[in-house]
Amino acid sequence: MKVTVKSWTGVALWKWIANDDNCGICRMAFEACCPDCSFAGDDCPLVWGHCSHVFHMHCICKWLNSQLNQQLCPMCRQTWRFNDR
Amino acid sequence: MSLRPQRIVFDDVWGCLRQTVEKVLKLNSVRRDDWNSSFTDVYSICVAFPDPLADRLYSETKLFLENHVKSQLDEFNCYMNDMNDSESGENQLLHKYYSAWKNYSQGLEYLNYLYLYLNQQHIKKQKVSEAEILYGNGTTPLTISQEQMEIGELGLDIWRLLMIQNLGDILVKQILQGIERDRVDNCLTSKDIATIHGVIHSFVMVQDYKKKGNLQLYESLFEGKMLEASGNYFTSQASKLLQNCSVSQYMQEVIRILEEENVRAHKFFHISSIQKLKKECEDRMITDHKNFLYSECKEMVSNDKRDDLRNLYVLLKPIVDGLKELIQILLEQIKNEGAESIMNLKGENIHIQFVENMLQVHQKYENLIVETFKNDPLFLSALDKACASVINSKLSDGKTTCRSAELVAKYCDNLLKKSKSTECEIETKLSKSITIFKYIEDKDVYQKFYSRMLAKRLIHDQSVNMELEEVMINKLKQACGYEFTNKLHRMYTDIGISMDLNNKFNQHLKNVNDELSINLAIKVLQAGAWPLGPQTNITFAVPQEFEQPIRKFEAFYNTSFSGRKLSWLHHLCAGELKVSLAKKSYLITMQTYQMAMLLLFENCDTMICKEVREVLQLNNDNFQKHLQSLVDQKLLLIDTEKIEDSSVLSLNLEFTNKRTKFKITASMQKESPQQEIEQTITQVDEDRKLYLQAAIVRIMKARKVLKHNALIQEILSQSKVCFAPSIPMIKKCIESLIDKQYIERTANSSDEYSYVA
Repeated sequence: MKVTVKSWTGVALWKWIANDDNCGICRMAFEACCPDCSFAGDDCPLVWGHCSHVFHMHCICKWLNSQLNQQLCPMCRQTWRFNDR
Repeated sequence: MSLRPQRIVFDDVWGCLRQTVEKVLKLNSVRRDDWNSSFTDVYSICVAFPDPLADRLYSETKLFLENHVKSQLDEFNCYMNDMNDSESGENQLLHKYYSAWKNYSQGLEYLNYLYLYLNQQHIKKQKVSEAEILYGNGTTPLTISQEQMEIGELGLDIWRLLMIQNLGDILVKQILQGIERDRVDNCLTSKDIATIHGVIHSFVMVQDYKKKGNLQLYESLFEGKMLEASGNYFTSQASKLLQNCSVSQYMQEVIRILEEENVRAHKFFHISSIQKLKKECEDRMITDHKNFLYSECKEMVSNDKRDDLRNLYVLLKPIVDGLKELIQILLEQIKNEGAESIMNLKGENIHIQFVENMLQVHQKYENLIVETFKNDPLFLSALDKACASVINSKLSDGKTTCRSAELVAKYCDNLLKKSKSTECEIETKLSKSITIFKYIEDKDVYQKFYSRMLAKRLIHDQSVNMELEEVMINKLKQACGYEFTNKLHRMYTDIGISMDLNNKFNQHLKNVNDELSINLAIKVLQAGAWPLGPQTNITFAVPQEFEQPIRKFEAFYNTSFSGRKLSWLHHLCAGELKVSLAKKSYLITMQTYQMAMLLLFENCDTMICKEVREVLQLNNDNFQKHLQSLVDQKLLLIDTEKIEDSSVLSLNLEFTNKRTKFKITASMQKESPQQEIEQTITQVDEDRKLYLQAAIVRIMKARKVLKHNALIQEILSQSKVCFAPSIPMIKKCIESLIDKQYIERTANSSDEYSYVA
């Protein structure tokens, strides 16, 4: 018998690669959005720091903007640097 | 002439003036010169030297007016004595009075001009200002009447005191007779009408100058008696009608009488009486016989007698609480009819029958309300109440929970899946389903079912039209807010994004001059938005035919997005296989696991079950389920009844099917629908508990301390959009929050909670 695959529809689920389930700032799940957004996913992305901590982009930006002198990670107090991978 | 104050002889000047006054009052012609000189006379008296004689002029004028009116009254008295017993004279008195009044009031108006100086200079000074009367800190009306009035007002007052006080009762009696005649045989001439109208209004006009209580005479002398007489007339009329009319005829008659009375009121009375007369008529003819009107209510509603109902509405609308009973009857009727229409539904299409039957009932009564009850909000809310109660009622056997939410969701699914109707038709049907949806209390149940069905449609490409999917989501959003459709919307956008992604991926392949061995379409879903149930990680060895394309796609995906991990949901994947057998080749659509199984038989014709399972690394449940469907299709043959590890599978080389293109579906639907429904219900229950707990924490955080009942009320009002929680469930949630130390009972009161920060 000859069998050939003509077409295939694959279904995949994507998740953020994060070391935690929730954002340390707003305590919302990473799968959901930050409190200011209404749609999760592309509209409310995550960002990673060099210190390995992950936050909603909106949350960490708000935090950094509120800091006058130093830009520290709210979790580990190291200087915050974005990890662009 | 000079304007300087002069010494005058009052009697001389008054003697002259008096002649003019008499002429004016009798409406005889007055020469211009006389008028002018009289005008000057008034002035010179008022400014006379050494003492102004205005007061004397005033009292002389008053006396003159009184005598004038008295003489006219005497005339009337004589006339009445003459006419004492004769019938024909009746109306004549009214006519006579009316023409006397017309002349007198006209003459008085002119006279008022003549005395302009006196009015303005002498009398205005004494008058209490308007503001003082309005705000009540001025002198009481009693003292005003003792003061001097403007001549016009004085004349009216004299007319009232002398003429109307004496003649009033007899005038009123005759007016009422006139009106009675108008009611009974409608034979008044236009002159009669003008007279009656004029006489009635003379009662108003003699006090018209007053700022306050200008209708006092009219009301006490005339209106009360008129209403009483009218009331008697209405009562007798009503009882006459009741004796030989049906409800329907009676209503028609009453409406006619009401209209006539309205015309009559405008014809004769002061506007202030129109409402009162209407009220009297309603009281006597409707309120007094309310029960008679209600007696056939039920029948009218059930037999859809629209004309009668319309009349009934018109009549009962102005009566306090008049419509209550009618509304109640209508509500019961809708309830019964609705319940009947969705009772004992059987067969495959319960969901269609349910929605469409219910819509029919709703439509029918909505139509009735628009047409006969003028879209009265009271009736519309009764319709809503009735529909909600029918739709949310538990089915008669008491065990099963209400299935409405599920049925409506299924109805929508059905429309969006495979309807043959045109786009336009589907959209109207969807809109109508929203009408029913709005009545559902358990909207969250609907949401669960709808999102599951939507997920299936989207993943398996079953939607008729993506635009319609969006339209429907927007409709739901309009009805329930964006929170409700958030996930649905995210699912919808995921599919759009995936389509883009596929295009980009294909473009990318072209750019790098690569080609895939299979035709690939990928759907990438975001976790959290899709109702996919718990993610049990099913181990599965992906056949090598897929492995390479998948890896390429993953690589592409990772360059497009960072920080994301893809996991494949093979149980949701499907594809098309071309199977070439000896005689014919077939295009078969099937599930990934089944594809994998068939691919194993490419190079050999028989295999042992255990072998297959180990190669695929599938767990037993999935393996059995999917293999069974291939066996059922007779693509594979098995040598035992049941699938066992040692069973031998062989390829059916003699396989034939009439179609060359078909689909193997069984395995997807293996999960029994009942099981699925139960699962959904338990999920909904879990979600509700979370929702309630969140609501309680929110409320308590805002209020700090709250009584039990107040808290329950708040929760009920907050959750209304989504579902109607049961009190025991709320209590359980409160308990669990106390256990988790979010809130605590306050020390001094047993039914009060406080928020623990």
